[in-house]
Amino acid sequence: MSIKIGEFVFPGDVLRDLTVVNGVILKGPGLHSHEEPNCLLVTRAGILCFKSPNTYWIDGQQKRYYPKRGDLVVGIIKKTGNICKVDIGSSELSSLSMLSFEGATKKQKPDLQVGDIVYAKLLSAHREMESELVCIDSYYKAGKLGPLSNDGFIMNISLNFVNRILDINCPLLKTLGQKYVFEIAIGMNGKVWINAKKTKDILNLMNALLAAEQESNSNIIKACKQYAS
Amino acid sequence: MEQKKNAKLSRAVLDMKFMKRTKERVEKEKDDAEGEAMYANEITQAMRKSGNINLTEVSIATCKDLIEGRLSFNGMNPDIEKLMTDYHQKFIKAEKTKETEVSDVEMAKSYSSTIQTFGNKFETKRNRNKNKFLKPSDDF
Repeated sequence: MSIKIGEFVFPGDVLRDLTVVNGVILKGPGLHSHEEPNCLLVTRAGILCFKSPNTYWIDGQQKRYYPKRGDLVVGIIKKTGNICKVDIGSSELSSLSMLSFEGATKKQKPDLQVGDIVYAKLLSAHREMESELVCIDSYYKAGKLGPLSNDGFIMNISLNFVNRILDINCPLLKTLGQKYVFEIAIGMNGKVWINAKKTKDILNLMNALLAAEQESNSNIIKACKQYAS
Repeated sequence: MEQKKNAKLSRAVLDMKFMKRTKERVEKEKDDAEGEAMYANEITQAMRKSGNINLTEVSIATCKDLIEGRLSFNGMNPDIEKLMTDYHQKFIKAEKTKETEVSDVEMAKSYSSTIQTFGNKFETKRNRNKNKFLKPSDDF
């Protein structure tokens, strides 16, 4: 019995007959290498997805964030020092070196207090080790990363909703961008930081996100179209 | 040549100064042979086979082609808006794919018109002129 793309799979299912390009398969969340060679083991319940040429992943419900290398996350600083501890919503606090900011030296470090918020990238995420964050890219430039201002507001949304609104086909953020003057940082870990000129706007944006979380994708698109026209 | 490589050299010869590289090679070969013999029992058929496919773990963002979550609208943070080219590019790309899904017929139409334009190019100037400037009929 072979499993087709788009089918609902359960933990323990084994995928055979995989599409391989140059001997490489990219596996997303919910898949693990099987004892049997050239097979994938499903470790999470959900829909099996495939993107050409060679990417497989499981699209399922997930509540707890677990760090993945390369993810962009929003974190709250819990402990300061040469190496900060940052809460990114995973099972463990993650570490962020003070030197991994743009232009930081041993003498000149960014001024971060407990409770400050940073937008950072996961440099390493291994299940047996503490995950490590950085606020610079490989060219030592900050880009979009770095500390977020204290005027903003932080809230939590579900991980699935993060994936939905960060999809380019979802018009929600763009439609909100037409009405409000605001900036937003959405972490893959479900933490969202919003900043706008007026407190009322922030509250409105928060309510919009919370309301959209309960709606289906088609309803969001419909509502946005109604607003845009 | 083959025999030369396999020929065993005595230690006295290998210790000579100019034999340094050969000595290194001989030692490495010896090490490799020892290592293979040691682990021969533990290498299963499956392990030999599993080299066929390499698995690379990627995050959900790469799987689903998600955009970066740091956005700014209407000039709230100009620095971020400058860096949002990635977002705009993806958005334009998405719009384009949406459009192409609708307008297959339009594509065919525009393609046939291109054929005509190219056809004009290969016609001689005289022919083209003949087609273009028809004498007005006498009705006017």
